[in-house]
Parts: sequence; structure tokens; C-alpha cells
Amino acid sequence: MAAVDRGAATRPGGHGLHLGRLRVRDVRTYVEADVELGPGLTVVAGPNGAGKTNLLEAAYLACTGRSFRQASDADLVRRGAEAGNASATVVTRSGPSVFSVGVDPQAPRGRRLRVDGTPVETLLDHPSRPRMSVFLPDRMVLVKGGPALRRAHLDQLLAVLRPSSSPVRRAFHEALRQRNALLGSLKARGVGVERAGQELQPWDATLAAAAAGLTTARRETAEAIRPAVNVRAAQLGLAGELEISYRPRASEDPEEVVAALAERHAGDLERGFTHHGPHRDDLAVRRDGRLITRFGSQGEQRLSLLALLLGEADVMEEATGSRPVLLLDDVMSELDADRRARLVGLIRERGQALVTVTEAGHVPGAGDEGVGLVDVVPGSAVVARVAAGAPADAPPADEDAA
Amino acid sequence: MQPAPIERLVAAFSRLPGVGPRTAQRLTYHVLSRPDEDARALATALIEVKELIGECRICFNLAEGERCVICEDPRRDPTLLCVVETPADVLPVERTHEYRGRYHVLGGALSPVDGVGPRDLRLEELYRRVLEGDPDDPARGSGPLVDDGTTSSGGPTVTEVVVATNPTTSGEATALHIGAELRERSPQVRVSRLASGLPVGADLEHADEVTLGRAFAGRRTI
Repeated sequence: MAAVDRGAATRPGGHGLHLGRLRVRDVRTYVEADVELGPGLTVVAGPNGAGKTNLLEAAYLACTGRSFRQASDADLVRRGAEAGNASATVVTRSGPSVFSVGVDPQAPRGRRLRVDGTPVETLLDHPSRPRMSVFLPDRMVLVKGGPALRRAHLDQLLAVLRPSSSPVRRAFHEALRQRNALLGSLKARGVGVERAGQELQPWDATLAAAAAGLTTARRETAEAIRPAVNVRAAQLGLAGELEISYRPRASEDPEEVVAALAERHAGDLERGFTHHGPHRDDLAVRRDGRLITRFGSQGEQRLSLLALLLGEADVMEEATGSRPVLLLDDVMSELDADRRARLVGLIRERGQALVTVTEAGHVPGAGDEGVGLVDVVPGSAVVARVAAGAPADAPPADEDAA
Repeated sequence: MQPAPIERLVAAFSRLPGVGPRTAQRLTYHVLSRPDEDARALATALIEVKELIGECRICFNLAEGERCVICEDPRRDPTLLCVVETPADVLPVERTHEYRGRYHVLGGALSPVDGVGPRDLRLEELYRRVLEGDPDDPARGSGPLVDDGTTSSGGPTVTEVVVATNPTTSGEATALHIGAELRERSPQVRVSRLASGLPVGADLEHADEVTLGRAFAGRRTI
């Protein structure tokens, strides 16, 4: 899927530019892994089940404190080990910073997050934290599946591009929760529509104000990424116009939303929840007017998602000054040779990317200078220090380990 | 394992807000290390505050006796009511020295999620105060404060209600609810809401969209 992880707010300077060293201990299949990553493309190659995705997950974990597979602590820690740790040296404009996440399923206080050895509550709003954009094959549902995932994705993007809209999102979800609770209670009490309308009125107005603001913010965000996504789609060899459009149900005028909510009081009461508002919206991805969600082939859907991620990365880079690190898992399968070459060309243009493949040969230019290669050997459960995109005998920087 | 009386006090302290087990332990040892009279004074203060402090019969603020000091004060303007969620909200408004009217403490805010509806708040009491004036008003003896302001019960009529509920989702909905009810029941009364906007000394650049939007909506001529 495309998890645009919510980065730190737009703060000048200090943004993570790329991951340097990645160290993993007792996470998933790894007893130990120690990888030096270059600032550009790194190919993570190995047969099925060798632990390639786990390495990407560890990188994500180290920088966010979370798993991109929503894994529990017990899932993350290697079987037989008591606790695991993932740490990443993040190279920023103002120097390196070590992000470290300790996972111990027995620990009462959850994961232990540290930046340069200092415990922190969350890594998510740390100014040096790099943002990450993730492609996972089992999360193609973002393109194939229902609108809820696309809404969530759009809102995550919104949080990065317009951090000042966070209060609107929070206010909307709070008002929705309250209004739904009220509907449930009115329904349970068997209150008539007219009396119920009076009780609903203040919540209609509160919800409408936030809903209108959220709809505007989402529409503007969708409009902001559309041109970049379209450019990326063409570059990836996706013929025709790729159109990203936000399809709001509710108006951007609070008074119109209030009227629309009032019209639906009877229906809302019957069902016990609010069925009008931005919580029902969708982000439509169309190619030449046809919904990719319904009519696209596997390859088209994959390319659309990649175009979305790359286009979003462009917009994020422009808005925040730093490009998200791309974590692309098993992205080459189902792409023909031409599309592979195009994708790799785009990835190598700028920014850092980690790409997993079963055979390095699937990545055109994998042997080139400046492209890192991490060989994941199955069963070994150890990735030795691998210099990726850097000379193999580069001096280790031991002092930066947390 | 500590003696039972110590355990009991630690447990009692740790039920206080913001006090964890460590602090509770520390407080307990502190009490033990001090003279007996200190502990007695603390215990007396605790019991007294519960025995002597109740709700003001008129505004539901905290009061020693039937009425709170503000409702007792004849200099406070009885035609002006400030509606707040809890007694704790009275203090910050008082500290501004901007407000010379009386209060009405709702006892919370509408929150369907927590099962708090209009009937769980002191709303009927508010509407009655606005409609009829305060009963046994100390200001009554001195006559009406506004020319046409007397009612059957004798208290001066409220002319303005300032809704100072919190600028949260719950507080906003509560304010809207009060506004709609008062428009219907007492259309002659002015209902206002505290302005919300930019904090003093802050930078425009760092304001969020909601705050800035409200600041714009509530802008005034200079």
C-alpha cells in the first residue's frame, strides 16, 4: 500500500534527507543486520522468504516507531528473543541523528523510542525524522479496494502538506463521533424526528463547520498532487490521462451542509449514524475517464499506485524541502522490462529508495556505480555490514549507534 | 510490604489527579515525618472543604453557604450572565477583571459520547434565571437597575448572556444549543459568545487554519 507516513510539520532545516546506517537486532527473522545505505537507490535482493520485506519494515520501524504491517510487538521481535531493536542513522542538513526503537513485548510502557540516545514520546513529530512512502504488494487495496483507505491516505497526505489543517480533521472526527452517539441514544430512546431535530441541531452546526473545512482541505490537496501524478504516470508509460479527483459528498459551505444534514434527520435516526459528510468521500483514480479501481488491469493498477507515490513525493519535496524515502517492496513483478527501466530511471533521478527484488537482475542498472546492493541470504538471519552505494571498506561509524 | 495504614494513605494519595504511585509514596512519608498537628490540619481541611463548600443555589458556582460570594455581591451586575462549564472556569474569567456580571455554571458540556444531554446540565435553571431574574436577589431592594427591567419575581431582568463554554467541539455545540433555546424563549436577550482567535503575542505564520478562520470571522474595525 502506499502509506504516506505523517511527517513532521513543515519546519525549516533539519529534515531527514536520507537513511545512512541501518542496524537491526532480533527483529523478525534477523538476529542481526547492519547495513550502510547510500543516498540513492539500494537494491535489496534475495529469494522468497529470505527477509527482504523485514529489512524495509525495520527501516520504517526505526524512523516512525511503527510497523507498516500493523504488527504487534510480539510479531516484531524475533522468535526466541526477548526484545528487539531497530536503529537508523538519519543524515540531515544539520548532521547525523540516530533514531532507535526498542521493542519488548513484556515492557509495560510499550516501545522505547530514542533520538541520539534521548528518550522521546514519539518520533513522528521529530524535526529530523525522514518521511517515508511505502509500497507493499498486499496493500494494492489502496487502488483496488474501498474508499476508506483512499480517504485515510489523502488525510495522511493532508497532514504532511498542510499541517495547519490538523485541528479541522480532529474537530470533524470528534463532532462526528458525538453526533453518532447522539443518534444512537435518540434511536434507543425512540425520540420522534421533530424533537430529535432540536437535539441534533447544535451538533449539525458543529459538524458542518468542520466538515466544510475538511472538504476544502482535501479538495485542495487532491488538486495539488494531480499534475505531478499525471506527469509521473506518463513517465512510467501509463498511456492516457491519469486523473486524481476528490469526490466530496458534502458542500464546502457550512450552511449547505447543515441543510443537507437536516434533510436526512429521519434516515440518520433510523440507521443510528450520520450518512452525509466527508467521512463518506472517495478519492477517484481514473484513466481516460474510467475508474482504475474497477477497470484497471493488475499492471495498470500497480503503475497508477507508483505514479501516485512518486507524484506525492514530488509535491511533498516541494512543500517541505525534503523528499520522502521510498520503500518499495516487490515492485518489479508484473511490470514489463520497459516499465521496469522507466521506474528505476525515475527512482534514481532523486531521493533515496529501497527496492526489494528476488533477483538483482530485475532492476536495470543494479550493478551501476552509486546503486547499493544488499544480498539477503535465506536462513542466515544475519546480514553482515554491507556497504551500499559506498566503497565496501568504508570505515564503520560505531560511535553513532544508539 | 508496608504497614496497612501506610498502604491506605498511599492508595488514597494516588487516587488524586496527577499523582502517581511514587509521588503518593513520597507524600505519605512526608506526612509521617511532620508533626502530628500538620497531619491533623490537613485532615481537618479536607473534611471541612467537603462539609462547608456546596453549590450556590443561584449560579451553581462553589459556595460556602447558600449563595456564592459573587451572587452575594450587590455590586455585580445582575443583568449580565456569563455561562461557564465548571466552577474552575469562573476563576480565569474573574482574573481578567473585565467582567462585572454574574455567572451560571452548567456543570459540564453536551457530550452524547459520555451520555451528557441537555437535561444533565443546569440549562433549565439558566433559562429560568434569564426569564425571571434571580430569586431573593440582594440587588432587588435597591430597585431595578434598568428602567423597564423588573419582573414579577422582582429581580432585574437579564439583558445579555455571555456564553463562555470551552472552544472545543462539546463547548461549541453547547453554546449553539443555548443560543437557539434562548432565541426562542427570551428573544429580547442578547446572547454572545466569547471571541476566539489569535493568542496575544503569537505569529500569524504559526496559527492553524481553524483559529485563523475564526479570527477572520470575528475581526473588528479599528
